[in-house]
Amino acid sequence: MDFVLAQFSGFAVEFQSLLADPATYVYISCAMFLGIVFGALPGLTATLAVTILTGFFGNKIPLDYSLIALLGAYVGAIYGGSYPSILLNIPGTAASAATAMDGHPLARSGRGAEALGLTTTASFIGTLIGTLALLVFVWALLLISRNIASPEKAMLALFGILLSGTLMSEDLPMKGWISGLTGLAMAMVGLDPILSEPRYTFGWPYLLSGFQVVPVLMGAFAVPQIIEGLRAMNIGRAIDISGRILPNFRQVIRRLPTIGRSGVIGTGVGALPGVGEDVAGWVSYGVGKTVSKDGKNFGKGSMDGLLSSETANNACIGGALIPLLVLGIPGSPPAAALMGAFMINNVIPGPTIDPHIILRVVAILVLASFTMFVMGLFMARIFIQVLRLPPTLFLPVVMVLTTIGSFSVGGGINDLYLMLAVGAVAYFMNLLKFPIAPLVIGVILGNLFDETFRRSLFLADGDLSVLVSRPVAATLVICNVLLIASQIPIIRQLFARLFNRTKLVGAS
Amino acid sequence: MSDDDKRILRARDFWGSIVLILTSVFFLIETRTIPLFEGSSAGVSGIQWYDSAAIVPLCIFTSLLLLGCLLLGISIRAGGAEQALSAVGLGWDRFEAIRFSTIMVCLSAYIFGLVPRVDFIIASALLLSCLIWGYTSGSTKRMGLVAAIMALAATQALAFNASQALWSRYNDDYFTLAVWGALVIFMLATDGARRMTRAVPVISVIVPLFLIMAMAFGFRQNVPARTGLLFKQIEYHWFVTLKPLWNS
Repeated sequence: MDFVLAQFSGFAVEFQSLLADPATYVYISCAMFLGIVFGALPGLTATLAVTILTGFFGNKIPLDYSLIALLGAYVGAIYGGSYPSILLNIPGTAASAATAMDGHPLARSGRGAEALGLTTTASFIGTLIGTLALLVFVWALLLISRNIASPEKAMLALFGILLSGTLMSEDLPMKGWISGLTGLAMAMVGLDPILSEPRYTFGWPYLLSGFQVVPVLMGAFAVPQIIEGLRAMNIGRAIDISGRILPNFRQVIRRLPTIGRSGVIGTGVGALPGVGEDVAGWVSYGVGKTVSKDGKNFGKGSMDGLLSSETANNACIGGALIPLLVLGIPGSPPAAALMGAFMINNVIPGPTIDPHIILRVVAILVLASFTMFVMGLFMARIFIQVLRLPPTLFLPVVMVLTTIGSFSVGGGINDLYLMLAVGAVAYFMNLLKFPIAPLVIGVILGNLFDETFRRSLFLADGDLSVLVSRPVAATLVICNVLLIASQIPIIRQLFARLFNRTKLVGAS
Repeated sequence: MSDDDKRILRARDFWGSIVLILTSVFFLIETRTIPLFEGSSAGVSGIQWYDSAAIVPLCIFTSLLLLGCLLLGISIRAGGAEQALSAVGLGWDRFEAIRFSTIMVCLSAYIFGLVPRVDFIIASALLLSCLIWGYTSGSTKRMGLVAAIMALAATQALAFNASQALWSRYNDDYFTLAVWGALVIFMLATDGARRMTRAVPVISVIVPLFLIMAMAFGFRQNVPARTGLLFKQIEYHWFVTLKPLWNS
């Protein structure tokens, strides 16, 4: 209990210092506005918002301010995706795909303003639930993670890549693994971290320092989006909303169980490495449909349905930051972009992270959720105007933003070549349904895996049993093996047969 | 995912897995250049196999090779090989192929040809005008035209100022500016009745101008083509004409 109280008092101090700094309000308002606009424009995503702002703010202003900008944009973009979902039936981001199921029917029946008001409140509460979980659980996990050494780190990095690959693949899980391993392979380029042996540089000095995170992020997330989105598209006309966009507190209180359940689900799903807000929204929507009294009306304009997905996708933000800050494994694609921002500021997320940064992140998330709530209620009509912009107008602007952002991070013109090459590869990977986030996670975690794996073997004189010599490492090895084995058809059939037999024995 | 989608995907997987296998084999061969059992590496002696810089890449590319073979097997079993050379296997119709290739021409011309050599505001204005005007209507003729315009400007810059020593010359800046001017006149003459077309030249200039000024003077970061035709003047007047005003 003391520990939780210490957490809250630490948070209070950070929050106070955040509020006392006038620059905070400038950064949070601008970032939130940009984030909501990015989320509201179909074709731009939360990941893209964080990625582009990483290029701009990543290493150009103090880390505290750059975190305000990036987290503000992250929260804003996830929330902003609900506007086109509700008013156009086009999800602004993948995270709000489930929102369209009930949000649009509600808007068509003339309850658009009410839906937007409730969505804003649900997103606000959802973000707070996720943030609370981050504040409490991150410390419990940090205490455990203090005991992890090289073998555990190596296995954890591998587990993060494999798990995100498995969970994020729309098609075969194997495609997620290929994507993750490709990212790992990309991280092998340059001087190796132990002996400084050059690898795959092909005589090009630029490659000696390896692939830089920001151009890879920009290439992987922005360029395919630009290529895919540059097409003539009739996005339709947004449904006009009448009445004031205000939260109906009576409705909110009546639906608190739904909001609470969705918040917990969103946080839990977000905490899984690599699984993002879109999965959180759908899982929560699916659970809501099963357990809610209003389940039969899901998809026909149910408020419960709307709240299930919108609360979960915002709660996922806090959840996604738990593995990022504690273990150094991004919990969602935007968190992967956020990790890039940490890395270019020489902050290595993981067990060695400065605890003040975690408290600062929590304080920023709380402030961001309040800002989102206020902006969502008072500026909604401006954001609705944004929906009129066609993708062919703003995607070229994104290309110019990406170019100057990527150039200015440090590598100059070579970073742009890298960005375009990664972008072309990522576009084809998208076409073949290979998930992109595991690739980025692989690039980010590649050096950590390489260094810790080889260091483990070095300390054990090449004895591979070092990887199972400690309980946590052995558990992680088992998890990795089970994860791979679970995708092998024969083993899956064997497990299914065993499971059925157990069920039969139980029934008899 | 519907059965049809899966069929298309397996046919595409055939090509994807072949590319993956070939890439893995290439990098496995390349890994042989990194010392594994030699006993010394990067000037350090007494190196064992488990210290080698080759061990992790070897594991990664072997795994990728195995996964590539598995994917190929899955694709062949699902009939992907039979459809690999059909339109389904190649995965594109004519329109999509034109759209993708023209976008790639525009982006490559911008990144490889113009950004290093031409003033950022001029280069970006040309790209923005080409992309916004070229892809809004969905006409393949326009896509081809804007790709040709971008390629023309980039080819001139590459042909006359290929090496880095020549990047600060202005002939390519003037040429790109002339090309952009001609495009704007053509756009307005043929499609000027639309509000969006009239807005294109304004957006094309304001966006890069604002971005480069924010980056160079706000964040004080390096920007592309610092000696470019327009930026050089802006930078000069920023420090010589404007800054003394508020400094004094």
